Amino acid sequence: MAAIGDMFYTWAADADVLKKGECGGAITALQQYALSSGMVDAVLAVRKGADIYDAVPTFITNPAEVAETAGSLHCGTLLLSKLVKDYLDSNKTARLGVTVKGCDTMGLIELAKRDAVDLDRLILLGVNCGGSVSPVLARKMIREKFEVDPDLVHKEEIDKGQFIIEYEGGHKGIKIDDLEDEGYGRRSNCRRCLYKVPRQADLACGNWGVIGDKAGKATFVEVCSKKGANLLDAAVKAGAVKTEPAIPKGIEIRGKVEGAMLNLGNKWRKKNFEALASDLWGTIGRETGRCIKCYSCIENCPVCFPAAEDLKGKSRMVISGEVPPNPMFHLRRFAHISDSCINCGQCEELCPMDIPLALFSHAIRTEGDSAFEPKLGKAPYTN
Amino acid sequence: MNGAKVIYADPRYTATARQADLYMPFVSGSDVAILNGLMQEIIKNGWEDKEFIAKRTKDYEKLKEVVMKDAYSLENVSKISGIPVESLKTAAEWLGTTKPGAILYSMGITQHTVGVDNVKSVANIQMLLGNLGKPGSGVNALRGQNNVQGACDMGALPVVFTAYQKVTDAAVHKKFADAWGFPDGICEPKNGYEVTVMMDVLTDNPGELKCMYIMGENPMLSDPDLNHVRHALESLEFLVVQDIFLTETAEMADVVLPAACYAERNGTQTSTERRVQMWRKAQDPPGEAKEDWQIISELAAKMGYAKQFPYQSAEEIFTEVAAVTPSYHGMNYERLSKPEALHWPCPTLEHPGTPILHKEKFSHPDGLGIFTPIEWKPPAEVPDAEYPFVLTTGRVLWHWHTGSMTRRSATLDAEVPTGWIEINPEDAKALGIKDKEKVRAVTRRGSVEVPAKVTKDIMKGIMFMPFHFAECAANILTNNALDPIAKIPEFKACAVKVEKIMEA
Repeated sequence: MAAIGDMFYTWAADADVLKKGECGGAITALQQYALSSGMVDAVLAVRKGADIYDAVPTFITNPAEVAETAGSLHCGTLLLSKLVKDYLDSNKTARLGVTVKGCDTMGLIELAKRDAVDLDRLILLGVNCGGSVSPVLARKMIREKFEVDPDLVHKEEIDKGQFIIEYEGGHKGIKIDDLEDEGYGRRSNCRRCLYKVPRQADLACGNWGVIGDKAGKATFVEVCSKKGANLLDAAVKAGAVKTEPAIPKGIEIRGKVEGAMLNLGNKWRKKNFEALASDLWGTIGRETGRCIKCYSCIENCPVCFPAAEDLKGKSRMVISGEVPPNPMFHLRRFAHISDSCINCGQCEELCPMDIPLALFSHAIRTEGDSAFEPKLGKAPYTN
Repeated sequence: MNGAKVIYADPRYTATARQADLYMPFVSGSDVAILNGLMQEIIKNGWEDKEFIAKRTKDYEKLKEVVMKDAYSLENVSKISGIPVESLKTAAEWLGTTKPGAILYSMGITQHTVGVDNVKSVANIQMLLGNLGKPGSGVNALRGQNNVQGACDMGALPVVFTAYQKVTDAAVHKKFADAWGFPDGICEPKNGYEVTVMMDVLTDNPGELKCMYIMGENPMLSDPDLNHVRHALESLEFLVVQDIFLTETAEMADVVLPAACYAERNGTQTSTERRVQMWRKAQDPPGEAKEDWQIISELAAKMGYAKQFPYQSAEEIFTEVAAVTPSYHGMNYERLSKPEALHWPCPTLEHPGTPILHKEKFSHPDGLGIFTPIEWKPPAEVPDAEYPFVLTTGRVLWHWHTGSMTRRSATLDAEVPTGWIEINPEDAKALGIKDKEKVRAVTRRGSVEVPAKVTKDIMKGIMFMPFHFAECAANILTNNALDPIAKIPEFKACAVKVEKIMEA
């Protein structure tokens, strides 16, 4: 019987899933089992759209279709938390299995704090994530740095500090550090991320720490909750997945990989935040001075939601019809999310004016976190 | 930006002006004078690109003769335009000493009786500086709508078939007649009337034009001199309007055909940079609404031309476009499905498209760019004692064109619910007008009551009105004077007076 804190190498029993999935297809097999056994009513996962740069979130109710979501897409710069909220809101009793990155997990936790999602209705299969790459920049990077036609690439991965592509006629890897020094590579918020293994999910899965004869053929699974333990046990019992205990050397290597990623994250925080600190208000003023008030940052923020309908009119401090809007338009949002910004980067990724909004709100939150306790909980009063 | 400098010229201090390193407010209609003055200063300082002029152009001496006239000294240009000499000097120096440089313009350049002169002057200064045919340079027209380039490419003009193939060219005419295969042939190989000219023909020569079929356009708000437009449309025997909402124009129609909106249809759109991009349907149109091509095909079938309009999809139509259009010849839906899509000209299936035009040569038969000497002419109507201010019109970010879509959006309506007239504080003071006070704006063509917006963001002597709002329609006031070549109306300059509204 699996218990919280246990660590396994896990792989799919089904030969087809084993082939389609990455690292043994454990997540695909677990989602498939959760769905077919009735533990969940639907699965939310990401499948490949037109090409590898096109990640499409998909709700699946037919277990046979889960395999279509096998494999990772690092150019999928999505955040799933609001989609989960919408699904749970419109399917009042349904339970959902979701494959989540760290930012998805944090987004759901913030929504749960606000009573906007019920985590008991979710089974979260966490995947460790070293970061994602914006699709437009990825195509440019592959064309210019890899000197490969981006349409010929059929697979990409981030492994051992390299961005690796496989294409018709070969494969090529370039060190992420080198790419990022030249302005390519992962999104800025991903570089600063320190939540690489989502241990607040029910199971934390990934390839870090899978060594020996299981390397590339199994997924490392950390059991993070009772719900996660139950799923894993039931899936093993039903013959959907196979497991064996992770070996100590593998656990040690997993720790080292995670540690290296955290060091890199801290390096980027230092670099970005120090540069910002040198002219904080000047930079924020200048950058947000390009704002066209499209509300994309608000609509896509996992922490900013609905009351905003009223904000679209006039407020005391943000006058209607002004472009750029009064600085309070942004300060209001920064203040609102000051202890909740999860640095998911959606505001920045989807800003049509390329304002580095996540840099600002992330800097504000980390500064605040270092100075104040306790952190947010929903106050039981209104004042 | 990597240190590039932005020079911005506009009578209004807009959101773009805030981003500029040099802002030059100027009197609407003085464009040619400003550009000639800048060219004079560039030549005086020897900043012209001598090699480019020698190898890639002709008639430079003719240009020089005009722009070096004393009339275009910076002092004189300053008097005409209202731009301080120092600003003009700085602009000329930055343009002359920073390479490459791009000029981007929009309707402020084109919507004048001298619209063609203005565009040619932009081409003159860019040839003078060698700023053509390379990245970061060029004469960049920012079109007024997402697909206006595509509409023009498709021959939605009275003098050309697709891709500017002249209707009067016998070989071209035969090519299209053969391709379409109408049993009774196609229209004669002669130029038709421009939209703006049609309005004049309708009023000046009643009965010559009997019927009009207007698709996705709302001239009862977007054309100049709306009283004239109403008179013109009322002179028709039969008016058909195809649109997604019952617009001011559709209200006058005998028949309204409900169309699908942009999100309800497939197709392509061609952006201002000549990039042809896929356009994918997101949902079905409501009720009886149909895609434009379906409506036209069904109508054609009723008229006995089902065989010539056999289309089953937008893709089939695009395939036909590519077959008869040299600059689209190498395009198809498969190639356009790539995110980067293709820029025309793209003459063959192997051709990678042409993001930058005129790299090696220009489109004239000898491949040279021709300098056109141009003298400045004032707008058709200039301020006088009775109408002492220049009125210019335009858009605001929150609304699009005649507002048929955006004014139905609660969010956008909450941002900007109605129009206004911008008045400089000094002018407002002299007129005794306060901010937000409703005033009467009057031109020789009509008058509207409109709230005043007293703001230093508009130059003294100039007034501005957005044209989106039917209840205070700027185009009641504008002048129907046309550019003699392009037949574009002078939306950007006419003479106006503003009166206080006295309580009865």
